[in-house]
Amino acid sequence: MGSEPPAEPTGDETDPAVAVELDGVTKRYGETAAVDGVSLRVREGEFFTLVGPSGCGKTTTLRLIAGFEEPTSGTVRFGGKSMAGVPPEDRDVGVVFQSYALFPHMTVGENVAYGLNFADPPEGTTRDERVAELLELVDLPDAADRDPESLSGGQQQRIAMARALAPGPDVLLLDEPMSALDARLRERLRAQVKEIQSELGITTIYVTHDQEEALAVSDRVAVMNGGTPEQVAPPRTVYREPATRFVAEFVGDNNVFTGSVVDAPAAPDGELAVDVDGGDETLRARTDADPGTAASVGDRIAFCVRPEHLRVASADDGGADESAAPAGENALRATVASAEFLGETTRVTLDWGDRELLVRAVDPLDGAVTVGFDPEDAHVIEVESR
Amino acid sequence: MTGVDGDRAADRGGRGDHGDRLARLREGVESHALTALAVITSAALVVAFYYPTATVLVEAVVVDGAVTLGVFADVLTDPFYFGELARLLSGESPAAVARSLLSPDRRLGIVGFTAYQAVLSTIASVALGLPAAYLLARFEFPGRKTLRSLTIVPFVLPSIMVAVGFVATFGDNGTLNAALTAFGLPRVDLLFTLEAVVIAHAFYNAPLVARVTTAAWESVDASAVETARSLGAGPVRAFVDVVAPQVYPAVLTGAALTFVFTFGTFPIVLALGGFQLATVEVFVYRLVRDLSYAEAAALAIVELVISLGVLLAYLRYEARNSTSTRGARPLPRRSLVPPAPTLRELLPRAGLAAYVAVAGVVFLAPIASMILASVTGGDGALTLDHYRFLVERQQTGAAFQVRPWPAIRNSLLFATGATLLALPMGVVVAVLTTRRYRGRTLVDAAAMAPLAVSGIIVGLGLLRGLVFGVEIAGWRIAASGAVAVVVAHAVSGYPFVVRTVSPGLAGLDRSLVESARALGASRARVIRDVELPLVWPAVVAGAAFAFAISIGEFTSTVVLATGADAYTMPVAIERFIGRRLGPATAMGVVLLVVTGLSFVVIERLGGEHRGL
Repeated sequence: MGSEPPAEPTGDETDPAVAVELDGVTKRYGETAAVDGVSLRVREGEFFTLVGPSGCGKTTTLRLIAGFEEPTSGTVRFGGKSMAGVPPEDRDVGVVFQSYALFPHMTVGENVAYGLNFADPPEGTTRDERVAELLELVDLPDAADRDPESLSGGQQQRIAMARALAPGPDVLLLDEPMSALDARLRERLRAQVKEIQSELGITTIYVTHDQEEALAVSDRVAVMNGGTPEQVAPPRTVYREPATRFVAEFVGDNNVFTGSVVDAPAAPDGELAVDVDGGDETLRARTDADPGTAASVGDRIAFCVRPEHLRVASADDGGADESAAPAGENALRATVASAEFLGETTRVTLDWGDRELLVRAVDPLDGAVTVGFDPEDAHVIEVESR
Repeated sequence: MTGVDGDRAADRGGRGDHGDRLARLREGVESHALTALAVITSAALVVAFYYPTATVLVEAVVVDGAVTLGVFADVLTDPFYFGELARLLSGESPAAVARSLLSPDRRLGIVGFTAYQAVLSTIASVALGLPAAYLLARFEFPGRKTLRSLTIVPFVLPSIMVAVGFVATFGDNGTLNAALTAFGLPRVDLLFTLEAVVIAHAFYNAPLVARVTTAAWESVDASAVETARSLGAGPVRAFVDVVAPQVYPAVLTGAALTFVFTFGTFPIVLALGGFQLATVEVFVYRLVRDLSYAEAAALAIVELVISLGVLLAYLRYEARNSTSTRGARPLPRRSLVPPAPTLRELLPRAGLAAYVAVAGVVFLAPIASMILASVTGGDGALTLDHYRFLVERQQTGAAFQVRPWPAIRNSLLFATGATLLALPMGVVVAVLTTRRYRGRTLVDAAAMAPLAVSGIIVGLGLLRGLVFGVEIAGWRIAASGAVAVVVAHAVSGYPFVVRTVSPGLAGLDRSLVESARALGASRARVIRDVELPLVWPAVVAGAAFAFAISIGEFTSTVVLATGADAYTMPVAIERFIGRRLGPATAMGVVLLVVTGLSFVVIERLGGEHRGL
């Protein structure tokens, strides 16, 4: 598909408080580029998340920022200063690993105090006070004399966090810190991490493969694929207006339609009519003023509709067509293939021609159904001009 | 929450000017400490090993100031060294050579015989080591852990002492013949036979094979076997398909090391084989004694090439096949008492029982025989005469005679010195070889080379280099024989420090190191604060290794001790064994006791007891 990943949102360039900047950073291992020409700006005090499937380069990006790896080309800057050749110990970063990496031969207190060998605690605080303060911060005030291995996974994670924060780093780097924990605990801990982050106002770069986690905690998210970010935007924008097909499908459930434009409005924003692949229907999708999505007749196009925006009704009900697709809306005919009961809703997979559609339903569904959606809820991702 | 986001840079500024400068100085030293240590270690290796060895080896190709391959050509085409193969090198047809090799009266030559006995020794070591690994890895019984730790003992026992033990077992009046006579069986004469040499080599190397194989067997994940079983493989098939492929590389490791060690064997063959069963190393010694340095050097290079070839082939194999199965659930151990009297339960246990009987004879007889011989007189009665001889020799021995106390004192002093030298060298090399960078294998091989180079040549090089003096850039470096012995021992001991410490370092979670660095610790500081404390038991084990290697070292010591007062206990034993067995066994027992006590001391000094 022809469209390029969009540039950083404008306004970033004029923002003076850039804490961490990656400028055309590439990291190659032999022939393969783990990180491929990444340019990013992380603002002061921001909670910034790198999210993507395994192998997308997110952890390598974090390691380049921490200084564990040197870029093959490009520059990492902290507060405008190039970090080329600066070893990790001189970068003032705090790192929390997936394995927590607590030193097993030291007590919890010694672990937290370790960074204070190389940086004094803040003015007017002693080493011991600083350790106590940090343990208090992570809600484990009595753990100082304990053996790290006697702690639960969640507690170890919090100690790792306290240890990383003790020397007062400029940037906190978190590498999948929750992925070894169970779902419940993960939700609780990510709320705590977010709370600590906003309390301290510390610039935080968070790496996760879990898109839900990324949406939940971040100020901005970079969705990475194949060593490059495909979209960098606040969580809501990433969810509602995915910039690429990859982002649309990676972040949350989505239905992506492709087809040829058969009718286009004269104005930049209006409704397109699209002959979709895999079905006989002509569907209408609303374009916005975004110049990247301006289309004319004959163009190939991809757009997506979230499952929650698809209205579905059983085709056997009298007048069901109306309830699923009021006048002016798109209508499709499909059959139920399978359903997953999730509690709050049911996630239903429909067979539509030789394609699949995902919808949400409250009531059980079976057999033939009609599906409808408002052209307003269709988001155009890619346009390929003829 | 005040001050949690305090700025580190600002905190540093808060110190006084003086403190600031000191801190900067310390940081500077720390950030270059690793490089400095690497440079110092390399320099030490060059002075103590590479340069002296090179000066000797170069004689093989430089004769009267001119480069020549003549000496090599002579050695390579001499049937005395290469047997029938030499004819191949001098241009005869391969078919004729092959025919001669297949005929019963083939000549192997010294090199061929050395390889032949090394292959036999390797087979014997694997045959004796594998059942031990099976027992240790798959069965649970009281004293299993102790037995597992004890498998290291034969390997670190002084070889000359073991040789004495074997003489006491297999000799004319040895315990074996005494036992045979007692049962009315005919006497056997195993001394100075290939069999005795091979059994003695197996004594040394079978435990090594057992150790590495046990470790691999224990790391086989039980769920992999269970998966195979659930997919329809029977127990034998599951063993062949799942267990064997994971254990096999370890067996190969043990076999490769055994081959290299027995190919370069010296004291065992010298004491048990004599010159009629001479191996390359024994012959190098003889050539050196006859002052035929060029020929000795050429022969040593041939030996080195073969040993290094095997080592390198093995290292490459290891690099390709190394898998880490950490955190796996090991196979459950079975009880030695059969749960049911079925054939399938009884058969392996009966086999093991037979094995234990054989192993008991091989491993315990030499030590027991030596102790027994040291308190047995010529008439067969118990006596302390041999010990009395040692005391008398100490009191009345002439200056040129070997006396016990200087030997004990020298051994302890040299071993302490060698350990203090080998430990930092080994740790630095271990740190360097567990980093990832280009050419690491080369560094690894270069650091491990002392294992493959003839101890005679290292000794000779040090003798002519360090002891007689070297001139480097106008500085004259000369050392006493004692210092040279310490250096030689450190060189032969530090590869073992590397080999014990580096697996621990390599197995450390990389994020531990990275966490410490992110918290502000320099590379060198991380080694001190995190890595070394976590592999401390391995460091202590490495120290014990270096100490034991030094106390038992014979090959280079015998070269360096000549003419000097720098003789050690093993050298003393060799001097005694030439005359009478009694005093040699008494000296052997003294060596055994001193070595044992030293191990206890090292463990105490090392702190926590976690075993080898």
